[in-house]
Amino acid sequence: MKSFQYGDEKISKNQLMLAIPSVILGVDILQLPKDLAVDMDGADGWIVLIVGGAISLFLVWIMTRLALRFPKQTFFSYATSIVSKKVAIVLTFLFAVLFIGLAAFDIRVLGHTSQQYLFDNTPVEVVSLSFLFVVVYAISGSRAALFRLNMMFFPIIITVLLFVLLVNVKWVELSNLMPAFQTDVKGFGGGLKTSVLVYGGYSIVLFYLALVDQPKKASKHMMFGMVTPIVLYLLVYLFSLMIFGRTATSHLLYPTIDLAKRIEIPGGILERVEALFFIVWTMGVFAATIIAFDVAILALNSIFKRMKKIHFVLILSPIVYYLALFPKDISEVNMFGEIIRSAMVAFSSITVVALFLIAKLRKVGGNDNASK
Amino acid sequence: MVRRIFRKTNFQHKENQQKQNTLQSNLDSNIDLTLQKLKKLLDEPNDLVIREIKIGKKSTTSAIIYISGLIDRQLVQDSILVNLQDITTNESAPEENKKLFNQIQQSFISITAVEIGQTMDDIANGILAGKTVFMLDGQEKALLMDTKGGESRSIQQPISETVVRGPRTGFVENLGTNLSLLRRAVQTQDLRFKAHQIGKRSKRSLIVAYVDGIVNPTIADEVNRRIQSIDMDDVQESGFIEQWIEDSFLSPFPQLDNTERSDKAASALMQGKVVILLDGTPFVLIAPVVLGDILKSPEDYYERWLIGTFLRILRYFAAIIALILPALYISLVTIHPGMLPTDLALSIAASREGVPFPPVVEAFLMVITMELLQEAGIRLPTPIGTTIGIVGGLVIGEAAVSAGVVSPIMVIIIGLTAIAAFANPTFSIGITFRIIRFGFMLAASFFGLYGIVLAYIMVNIHLVNLRSFGIPYSTPFSPTFVGDWKDLIVRAPMTMLTERPRFLSPEDLKSAKKGEKN
Repeated sequence: MKSFQYGDEKISKNQLMLAIPSVILGVDILQLPKDLAVDMDGADGWIVLIVGGAISLFLVWIMTRLALRFPKQTFFSYATSIVSKKVAIVLTFLFAVLFIGLAAFDIRVLGHTSQQYLFDNTPVEVVSLSFLFVVVYAISGSRAALFRLNMMFFPIIITVLLFVLLVNVKWVELSNLMPAFQTDVKGFGGGLKTSVLVYGGYSIVLFYLALVDQPKKASKHMMFGMVTPIVLYLLVYLFSLMIFGRTATSHLLYPTIDLAKRIEIPGGILERVEALFFIVWTMGVFAATIIAFDVAILALNSIFKRMKKIHFVLILSPIVYYLALFPKDISEVNMFGEIIRSAMVAFSSITVVALFLIAKLRKVGGNDNASK
Repeated sequence: MVRRIFRKTNFQHKENQQKQNTLQSNLDSNIDLTLQKLKKLLDEPNDLVIREIKIGKKSTTSAIIYISGLIDRQLVQDSILVNLQDITTNESAPEENKKLFNQIQQSFISITAVEIGQTMDDIANGILAGKTVFMLDGQEKALLMDTKGGESRSIQQPISETVVRGPRTGFVENLGTNLSLLRRAVQTQDLRFKAHQIGKRSKRSLIVAYVDGIVNPTIADEVNRRIQSIDMDDVQESGFIEQWIEDSFLSPFPQLDNTERSDKAASALMQGKVVILLDGTPFVLIAPVVLGDILKSPEDYYERWLIGTFLRILRYFAAIIALILPALYISLVTIHPGMLPTDLALSIAASREGVPFPPVVEAFLMVITMELLQEAGIRLPTPIGTTIGIVGGLVIGEAAVSAGVVSPIMVIIIGLTAIAAFANPTFSIGITFRIIRFGFMLAASFFGLYGIVLAYIMVNIHLVNLRSFGIPYSTPFSPTFVGDWKDLIVRAPMTMLTERPRFLSPEDLKSAKKGEKN
């Protein structure tokens, strides 16, 4: 059947632009204020958020430049032409493993949060499994549909998030931001590590840019897509601090959801609105999970070209489920998340910078003037 | 045994082959032979009328043939029969057979549409389509005169889609009338009617209508291609076509819109859509249809924009209620009672006191009862239908509450849901909502609010994967066309609606000049 011009399997620049914040925000935004408040005095976290954001922005820029040197080529194929095929296989495979880990982490945190805010008795295994089934249903469809799906959820999620912040404005206490610049070097180090890690996930650019219809002009969109989570993180972090204060924030499990607790629906039709916020956020976690899962499949598919997508889905789903349930309690979940994200950020930044430099030195790919 | 069946089919096959040969064969110059063949082909039915007339100076045998119920008797008598009988007395009539035939065709027959048939197939199909056939001895061709008549319904207000404001014309069963209605509504030279004959045994005409220069050729070609692929014995209603050419038969969502209203079809044409009309049914199909279209009504445009917008938002709200209200009740009462304010929770608990079933069972019981009532109400004649509504709705509802089988609040919820499901412009989308509602209720009974959001995500996954004639169903929400949002949930003022829907990629995007007011 002929498909319509914009209905084909291409991804538009705008769609990829919105996928970046989706995969970055995911579950991280729920506990980011807490992680930063543990290390940083006052509101000093904004510094590391911006520094971390700048580093990520720079990495996204390099990724875009790297991918644009090889228009319409997959990561695997241009990695092959830059280094050797064997190295490319290893790199792509590691990326796939990391994204599988990220998807598993997202699913597990969702299961855990739902226990916190929705049901106490339902075991996390059941919640995660049902979520995974829906993820598998989404992944089995077409790839372009995932981006359409993300584009349907993203406005809802952002609207609800901004609404929560807006409602909280009347409880803001600016004095909570003090004292400024009191954090010691060790605190800064910890904060910077956290803030660099929460931005992890932008490596999807490497894989999806090959599918974008007009990649040449995409670089601005990618940067804008990366700026969105920086702004949202800053807003959420500052609001949590201004409303709860540093001490309280550092003791809350998911400060962002707790921000929603303050909402009172006029007329008192519903109580415990934070559960509703969590429900909406399920869509956000869902978007992050399907994109991470899909990147893993895309990466593996570029190595094993003969296998069908549905086979990857069937093989990977049990692995994701197993990984998601591997950590025993919340501290192990957090540790698992930290390992995954550290590995993701370290691996992707080293790989990308190295590939970019090698490509420049060996003069592989399109000339540098063209991509400007 | 097997061999006998085989032989039998072989025999049938031979007979079919023979029949096929007769159909393909050219007309015999001997009129008696042709008439005999025709009689044999149709098995001499009672309503087949063969009127033999001797005409001309040589008294040549000729015949007019028709099926009595399908033609306009008065027309045949006044415009054909009388004229033919005149020939005998007419001085100017030529003697030679061939000339006579031509003269009859050109001068004597006063029927507007006349064709020439060459084969038995032409003649047989022509007669069955309500044409009158004229044959002259010694000629190997026949005249097919369009004398279609018979009883048909006059143009009435459509029953299934009533509006307060707007034209009252609805399509009828007669294709010619429907085409004329469309022509009257869309008065442009670019209106195209592409004709198809469908059905292997029972032939029916089908028209694919579109406005050239507006419609994207990809859509028109795709519709025509799919219609050509139809391979059915008989197409009784446009629903057959819809089900044959839709993109996904597994989806509960309609991928073609159907309407009885000529103004709705006309506005679809002007937007760049394709309209499919089938002979014998007042329901025409509109393709493609997307998510944004299913809650639009022609009335939105006739009323002023504030009213139109209000109605649209109301309809979206009603759709949400129709989909999730029972599911919301189940999840709030069973799984998250803590989310209800204490007073409300107490009053629900008080009203549920003595109800023997858990809320899930209660909800399913009532929803199914409601579905039964709706179905029963439609099938019965109107006066009894009202009775069923009263007996079912009021008596059963009231009795169920006082018997303590269901709680009053459940009855309120079901009533609200049922009303909301009917507050949408097309009947078929209401059924879609009713089906999906059960899914939501199931999900809510397992996982509460979390289940509802999972079900919502699944509906969305389905929508983004669905297409209607190659166009993603979820557009213009996503793939996003912000320009189309002016006529989506909000119906912007008429002066601002200067463009046709972008998601249809029309050849001519502008439908009005911007900012110009008269």
